[in-house]
Amino acid sequence: MAEQGAADPVNNNNNNKPEASEGTIIKVTVKTPKDKEEIAIAEDASVTQFKEEISKRFKAKQDQLVLIFAGKILKDGDSLSQHGIKDGLTVHLVIKTAHKATDGGSTSASSSASTQVGSSSTSSPAANPASTTGPAGSGPAPTQTPNLMSGFGDLANLAGLGMGSANFMELQQQMQRQLMSNPEMLSQIMENPLVQNMMSNPDLMRQMIVANPQMQQLMERNPEISHMLNNPELMRQTMELARNPAMMQEMMRNQDRALSNLESIPGGYNALRRMYTDIQEPMFSAAREQFGNNPFSALGGASDSGVQPSRTENREPLPNPWGPPNSSNPSESGGATTGSTSTSGTTNPSVSNPLGINPGSLGNGMFNSPGMQSLLQQISENPQLMQNMLSAPYMRSMMQSLAQNPELASQVMVNNPLFAGNPQLQEQFRAQLPVFLQQMQNPEALSVMTNPRAMQALMQIQQGLQTLQTEAPGLMPSLMTGGIPGVPTGGAAPAENPASSPSSATTSPAQQQLMQQMLQMFAGGGGGGSGGAGSATTQTPEVRFQTQLEQLSAMGFINREANLQALIATGGDINAAIERLLGSQPS
Amino acid sequence: MAQSNSSFPVKLYIYDLSRGMARQLSPVMLGRQLDGIWHTGVVVHGKEFFFGGAGIDNCPPSGTMLGDPDSVVDLGSTEVNEDLFKEYLDSLAESTYSGDRYNVFEHNCNTFSNDVAQFLTGRKIPSYITDLPSEILSTPFGQALRPLLDSMAINPGGNNITGQR
Repeated sequence: MAEQGAADPVNNNNNNKPEASEGTIIKVTVKTPKDKEEIAIAEDASVTQFKEEISKRFKAKQDQLVLIFAGKILKDGDSLSQHGIKDGLTVHLVIKTAHKATDGGSTSASSSASTQVGSSSTSSPAANPASTTGPAGSGPAPTQTPNLMSGFGDLANLAGLGMGSANFMELQQQMQRQLMSNPEMLSQIMENPLVQNMMSNPDLMRQMIVANPQMQQLMERNPEISHMLNNPELMRQTMELARNPAMMQEMMRNQDRALSNLESIPGGYNALRRMYTDIQEPMFSAAREQFGNNPFSALGGASDSGVQPSRTENREPLPNPWGPPNSSNPSESGGATTGSTSTSGTTNPSVSNPLGINPGSLGNGMFNSPGMQSLLQQISENPQLMQNMLSAPYMRSMMQSLAQNPELASQVMVNNPLFAGNPQLQEQFRAQLPVFLQQMQNPEALSVMTNPRAMQALMQIQQGLQTLQTEAPGLMPSLMTGGIPGVPTGGAAPAENPASSPSSATTSPAQQQLMQQMLQMFAGGGGGGSGGAGSATTQTPEVRFQTQLEQLSAMGFINREANLQALIATGGDINAAIERLLGSQPS
Repeated sequence: MAQSNSSFPVKLYIYDLSRGMARQLSPVMLGRQLDGIWHTGVVVHGKEFFFGGAGIDNCPPSGTMLGDPDSVVDLGSTEVNEDLFKEYLDSLAESTYSGDRYNVFEHNCNTFSNDVAQFLTGRKIPSYITDLPSEILSTPFGQALRPLLDSMAINPGGNNITGQR
């Protein structure tokens, strides 16, 4: 037994083999808190031998070494294989400081199998200055401020909110409360580089929007939305608009100007008109599959868009902007062909306005779109949602503040990325704002909105009207839009109808309005819109887009196939199709 | 001296820092489901040890402001006694786990818990905890938030900083 006697004063094991034994050499990683080394050792070596190697490598005395593997302390008497230490495994090492070494040395000499650690702690706890450095170090440590969330910085409030309640609605409410109490907060949020950073990343935005399951539903039903979302140019533009209200206004003015210029081109107006008509056809037919117009869709949609200030939190999808309302603007701004004005507003039931989009019922026109329909569907399916939305305290205050500040409200609503692609819609929306807000503030209207049955009844009415419109287009052209707004506006704007309850379209004043508007809308081409829509579903894209195709070929795009593809991709939107064909922005 | 092959149980306390918000909001905000933002501490020798912005810390079990853990994982047991463990922690605190080494993504409380667990028992902590940073960073939202989060440190606040001079 004279193998390592000289170099190993504490060794009193009996099964040591020479290091250069027949066993294979394995590489074991020895890890200290500070360091890591790979040590080659014979597979069947003993712990003592191992420690020898380690002490050489780590330049520490063997009795300072404490080896731990799989939660066990390796005693000198053990062998590596006994503990299952194999090639490539990691063994932990603690190098005890010199203070402990003496204790370890003295006590381990007395026992063949005691671990150095165990002995040092049990033998002379009082004489372990080394071991007290730990506790001593930890004792007088200053107390930490136990505020986990303060480390989160700006998110502190959010965390506080979250901690208070796991209810998403409540969380939203609280954020809203904060926003409302501090009007500058919105602009602050917008200016927050983080938010701007996020918003400048179109992929992120798209992903966030798309990740919303409701949005996914919406996208399934309406491929245009996915087109819009997938158009990086548009997204980027949208986000820039959202960030820069001044720029947005500028852009909208440009659009309006361009549009009015277009009208003055001979034949241009007709082109526009036809274009919008054809756009409305698919929209309308799609819309009819779902629900009809709902007077409170204006409220529903508006209140939905009313939560826009919390856009950073809530990414509810909003209605499809490519709806029938496209048509009303050119006629408004161009003033070329205007029919009689409706009683309730500034509607221009012209040929370009097949649905007779009454600005007073702008929401309806817009909400013909499938997007809104699905939203309405969701609302009716989930009355609790509406209830929550409307009963949330912030909603009222927000609507009031919006009403008082139409500028802000218009900015808020038009900042919606979905609107940004459609400046005409934005214009319309802005014009409707006062009416909207009044409607929203009407408690009658609110109570109807929160009443699921009332909402459903209204939707049924809408459906009936729509069906009627297709069956008897001559009768009901204005009914779609003109009639219905008569119902809610009956409670708000038209002072002569204080008695007309919003939930019922049967009060005579409302009905009179209805009839009047019906007649007006008739001129608006209920036939054009609904008749065309009726047949649209059965037409091939080629037929549907025939007018656009003609237009495109007249403009010089000879490749009919490419034109058709572009039109299909953009859903009949000539401008977008031109963009696609040219690969750049025209005009 | 009698050999003390003492065996000390080792447990892992897991806390959800988001208090359930992550489970609800992560699909919307991140696009993937995260069940929680995990913070862990190792409980051994009657104390809970964790790594925070101030360094290695310890407190009585469940003694941080986070209260009781959301779940507890039994890591087994260890022979490492308290003194040795303290030495080990001291070494760590001087080197890889000093307070300024804290990084919420790469070198956080869970990294520490993982290392300590391996030291004490040879076992790692559940992978869903250690995978969390990469899961978050694999989403665009996480990437966007990264600059903000990097500057944060989570400090549940024990009273005993190891190795503090």
